[in-house]
Amino acid sequence: MKRVVTRFLYILVASLMVLSFFVSHSEAFSGRDLAKGAKGDDVIELQARLQYIGFYHGEIDGNFGFGTYWALRNFQEKYGLPIDGIAGKGVKKKLTGVSDYDEKYVKGQIAKGNKFTYYGGQSLESQVQQGSKPQNQTQAPPKYTNQDITLLANAVYGESRGEPYEGQVAVAAVILNRVEHPDFPDTIGGVIFQPGAFTAVSDGQIWLTPNERAKEAVIDAINGWDPSENAIYYFNPITATSKWIWSRPQIKKIGLHIFCH
Amino acid sequence: MKRMIFILTYAFIVLGIYSFGKTQENEQLSIALQTQYSKSISDSSQKLGELEEAVKKSLLFEDKKSSAKEREDIWRLSSDIKASIASLPVDESFSTAWMNYLGRLGNYAKESTEQGNSDEYYAVIQKASDNLSELSNEWQVATSGMLSGKMSIKNWENRLSGTTEEETKWSKMGQSIKQYGEAVFPLTASETDAQKKKELRNIKDAKISEDEAIQRFKNLLPEVSNDVIAAEKSRKGSPYPFYHIRFSQNSSIGYIDITQKGGHILSYLVERRMGKPTKSYEELLQMANQFLEKAEYKDVVFEEARENDVAWHFVFIRENPDNGAKVFSDPIHIKMAKDNGEVLGVNTSEYIRKEQLKPQPIRPVNWKEFFRPDVKIMKEELAYVENNQLEQRLAHYLTVVSNEKKQETYKIVIDTDTLEVIKTEKQ
Repeated sequence: MKRVVTRFLYILVASLMVLSFFVSHSEAFSGRDLAKGAKGDDVIELQARLQYIGFYHGEIDGNFGFGTYWALRNFQEKYGLPIDGIAGKGVKKKLTGVSDYDEKYVKGQIAKGNKFTYYGGQSLESQVQQGSKPQNQTQAPPKYTNQDITLLANAVYGESRGEPYEGQVAVAAVILNRVEHPDFPDTIGGVIFQPGAFTAVSDGQIWLTPNERAKEAVIDAINGWDPSENAIYYFNPITATSKWIWSRPQIKKIGLHIFCH
Repeated sequence: MKRMIFILTYAFIVLGIYSFGKTQENEQLSIALQTQYSKSISDSSQKLGELEEAVKKSLLFEDKKSSAKEREDIWRLSSDIKASIASLPVDESFSTAWMNYLGRLGNYAKESTEQGNSDEYYAVIQKASDNLSELSNEWQVATSGMLSGKMSIKNWENRLSGTTEEETKWSKMGQSIKQYGEAVFPLTASETDAQKKKELRNIKDAKISEDEAIQRFKNLLPEVSNDVIAAEKSRKGSPYPFYHIRFSQNSSIGYIDITQKGGHILSYLVERRMGKPTKSYEELLQMANQFLEKAEYKDVVFEEARENDVAWHFVFIRENPDNGAKVFSDPIHIKMAKDNGEVLGVNTSEYIRKEQLKPQPIRPVNWKEFFRPDVKIMKEELAYVENNQLEQRLAHYLTVVSNEKKQETYKIVIDTDTLEVIKTEKQ
């Protein structure tokens, strides 16, 4: 009986060891290679690990920008790896071996919107400051902030949530075209909140929570898509009350909106 | 019965108190709003006077340096008035005309301080000065009622866009400003961007038919083009004619715009349900390159990539074969699906009309003397970029890091001939 129990315990311990190996691996990087422009959980891990060993000093936000790129190249140089700024299998293996990653701590701070760092050899408590940073930041061209993107998504959702996707991208593009145009304010907020410019602002629908579709439409617009073909106005011919808007040269109709110059 | 009377009386009193409270609240809001608008009008009136004065003062000096302060004031004041006008609920055509005029005036004053011809400046600003005097007088008349509290903002608005003789006088203000703006000032940078797209109408390529446009779409994107819902021509007001083709295949819905002249893709975008990501960055970049090759965009090089939840956005830039310089005004954007590598979007509207590039000398430059010691150049390339005078200039396109520890990265564009810093952008 004693032998059976001992065997059972051996098997149990061995199983736990195997299991713990897989658990620790599941917390490590995913299989994909990480390059500049990438975003996601594995970029968070990459930044955290690079910071842990003193290569990365920027914000751990899951966006692979220039800061992460230079840090990774320096790491590759120091450990005799090919210097290409891409975190492939070899880089991740080396990095995992020489650094630590407390996923619960790092993701917990991001979820709380705290300002934090993750340097090795320092207590974690001393590296946290309370904050209210927004989560899930978007990869955008440098001239756009996450606040711009949120505001645009609100405007797109408030103005055109029933419209086809193309029409939603076009509404975002019209706002961006106005920012660039000398006849309008030169900020996204200035354009959106210009009195009388958008119905969604006048009736308060701009404050509805935008869905993923509206956010995606904004991402396409800030990345250069403009289905309106350079329009600076649009209107719904069924509901438009201004006579002046009919005098604008019309470009195309998408859904219920006519887009014009 | 008594109880009924009591309930009705009670409800009536409650309703009365409620509506009285609401009316009071609305009245307070209305007063607050009127105050806010009056403040904006008062600010703009005062600053318009100051602007007029600054414009006149800047005409006193022969030397640019002596009038630098006035030119700076013109830029600042026109920007301030723009902000005040933007916050007023005036007719859209009126306020946009105002913004345009002030924007042009401010930018012109600022840019002419840095570069530009003195004679041209005096001619333009003299004309602007005359216009401003007239406008300033009209503005005083138009706003006196509002500022004395005798006119509501609604009345004021009606008069600006009114139809009676007295009111029409006001609505002409917007039109006259528009004419002034277009007649006096040169194009702005954003207008040249728009101009570039408008110039698509001047493409020399042969016109294609609607069927040929659909065929081009099918050849290029066979996966989604089997079910064309509708194809129509652009409307008459479009600056360049194109075919707008909408399609639907399985769960994919999208559109493609193709120019009538030459059948060039302007933009293409598809929406569908997205699956779990399976394609790596390298695979997607390779697939994007294959698409470009197939579509015969062979003179572009990869510039940057951005990952988002469902797709990667890749940016490619035309490369000048003579010197390998990237032409940033001629980009192609491609959106690739992370789940199966499908091309979800293409945007070539700026690439179609290629920039005309001129040869330009490359003067030697010692970067160690050019930058502060803590600035490190990480990458050095050549690029064509538009300068303040809206010319395409060959430039050093540098990626630099300024703070060794924080690794703050900047892209800096420097004219190869004049060594003028055209642009500095924090990454």
